[in-house]
Amino acid sequence: MLNKILVAAGALLLLLSMSVFTVGVTERVIKFQLGEIIGTDFQPGLHFKWPFVNNVIKFDSRILTMDSTPERFLTAEKKNVIVDSFVKWRIGDVKVFYTTVSGDVNQANVRLDQIIKDSFRSEFSKREIKQLVSTDRSIIREALITNVSPHAKKMGIEIVDVQVKRIDLPPEVSNSVYQRMEAERARVAREFRSQGSEEAERIRANADKQQAIILANAYRDSEVLRGEGDAKAAEVYAKNYSEDPDFYAFYRSMIAYRLSLGKSGNIMVLEPNSDFFKFFKNQK
Amino acid sequence: MSWNEPGGDKKDPWSGRNDNKNPPDLDEVMRSLQEKLGGLFGGGSGGGDQTPGNDSVFKGLAFLGAAAAVLWGLTGFYTVDEGTRSVVTRLGAYVGTTQPGLNWHIPYPIEQQLNINVEHQSFIEIGYRSGGGQATGSVPKEAMMLTKDENIVDVRLAVQYQVKDAKDFAFNVLDPASTLKQVTESVLRGVIGHSDMDFVLTEGRSEIVQAIKTEIQTVMDSYQAGILITSVNLQDAQPPEQVQGAFEDAIKAREDKQRLINEAETYSNDVVPKARGKASRIVQEAEGYEQNVIARADGDVSHFSQLLSEYKKAPAVTKQRMYIEAMESVLGHSNNILVDVKGGNNIMYLPLDKIGVKTPEEIQQQVINHEPVPAPAAQTSVPVKTVKTDDRAASREHDLRGR
Repeated sequence: MLNKILVAAGALLLLLSMSVFTVGVTERVIKFQLGEIIGTDFQPGLHFKWPFVNNVIKFDSRILTMDSTPERFLTAEKKNVIVDSFVKWRIGDVKVFYTTVSGDVNQANVRLDQIIKDSFRSEFSKREIKQLVSTDRSIIREALITNVSPHAKKMGIEIVDVQVKRIDLPPEVSNSVYQRMEAERARVAREFRSQGSEEAERIRANADKQQAIILANAYRDSEVLRGEGDAKAAEVYAKNYSEDPDFYAFYRSMIAYRLSLGKSGNIMVLEPNSDFFKFFKNQK
Repeated sequence: MSWNEPGGDKKDPWSGRNDNKNPPDLDEVMRSLQEKLGGLFGGGSGGGDQTPGNDSVFKGLAFLGAAAAVLWGLTGFYTVDEGTRSVVTRLGAYVGTTQPGLNWHIPYPIEQQLNINVEHQSFIEIGYRSGGGQATGSVPKEAMMLTKDENIVDVRLAVQYQVKDAKDFAFNVLDPASTLKQVTESVLRGVIGHSDMDFVLTEGRSEIVQAIKTEIQTVMDSYQAGILITSVNLQDAQPPEQVQGAFEDAIKAREDKQRLINEAETYSNDVVPKARGKASRIVQEAEGYEQNVIARADGDVSHFSQLLSEYKKAPAVTKQRMYIEAMESVLGHSNNILVDVKGGNNIMYLPLDKIGVKTPEEIQQQVINHEPVPAPAAQTSVPVKTVKTDDRAASREHDLRGR
């Protein structure tokens, strides 16, 4: 009796477990009926199916990544760049996804990689490195999404995002970039030093100029003062000496004789019959 | 599997709640559990209309089932730590996010919960690894990137993030952390590629960090990844190792420039004030000269006019006296040689080169010896020599006197 109940309950449970399936939040499910797809649009939760008649396959509904391997592309100026990119995608039409790539994520990635690289090649060959690196990034991104989306749609894939991770120069080019950078720094360094010299010279010259001006002004002022003094003195002399010019001449000559001649060490050769020696020669 | 039995025959109180979309309330669940258990035992003991054999079997079975159900129900308790949220799914469908504390959910296989730490600050590193004890350092492949002006810079970035929305974080993106890393790398290169090297290396840092942060957040939000970027740190932005030397030299050059300028300023600060001082001296000296000349003129004139008034009283005698006194002074201070040219026309030999050396026997005649009696006229002229301030003044003196 007890066994019968247990067996019946067990059988019922088994049947039940075969007739329900759950759909997770992160899952997309295809329901088959004898190999034919009869449903793809399942909300998360519990769903029923006929045992043996129906079966289900589950796929990941989250955003997946196709991280491509870095590859070389030619730019418009025929330079090689190494580009590393990734594509974010999720399953759009699960039925198409199942039929075209057998629902295999790896296979989908390989196909996506091929499509995206083709797109990359055409976008990159139109642009120069500078555009690729700086200005056109978002344009390229948009273009890639637009280019790739229709192809992806045919595989039941919805492209969420395409991002260019790296755009690098190949090593041999990098070296010449380094050399150029070095040269440029040398230029900058030279420029700084020259600017320093320039500025320093200007400051020195300005200082010298100021010095010259200050001294010249001082000279001018001093000469004015001296001139005033001399003029004043000349005026005083002239006014007084003109009272008796003859006596002045005599008086002044006497002073001059004393100052210019009367020094020890001077030798004077004299003629004894000068006025001074009048009494010296013959006393009368 | 007896514990699963109640689920099969719909007697189970929990399965009936499946329709209810709200998360089960703990108290209510406990109460209903007690009721049901009490009912089972109470009904069993009170029911006398069933066969004793069957009754006891069912009773035992029911007891077992109930015990299993209680045990199963107890496995539904779970705790959520502070700073954590728990995402609960029922048969795959999302039913809610629970807060920290003790919670209960319908146990496995019906409901599942996943704890997600929403306050923990995780971080990713681009361009370097600070790794726990492992080899640290640069990862050139990530760190080297092109700038707008086609230079290469070595950038190291750390991004800190936390979970913004546990549900999005759990369900929307496969491996959100590595997605964040890919996005960060892409955004970082995009922003650096948009800037010139000097900007990246010097003043642009904060601006770049801000741009990166905003852009990563935008992209992650577009994926609905449930991630919040809390901070972006530009650990290092440097020129590549290969060109460090040149860059350092350029920095040194900048210092050199400043040094040269400072040196020149020093020179300027030295020269100009000195010149001002010198100018002041020149002007002061000129003023001194002016006063000196005028005063001296007054003095000279006064001397002269006084003498003149005396002279007018006795011109001949005064003149004679002045002449003799002057001659006395002149000849008294010099070596004199008297030569009578008319006396003999024989050629006179004067050893002029030896006269300076005082050898009296060489000198033919030495008439007058020094007489240290200074004449009054000589005295007046002496101060002229001592007053003079410099050569220039002296020369002027002579010029003036000379006319």
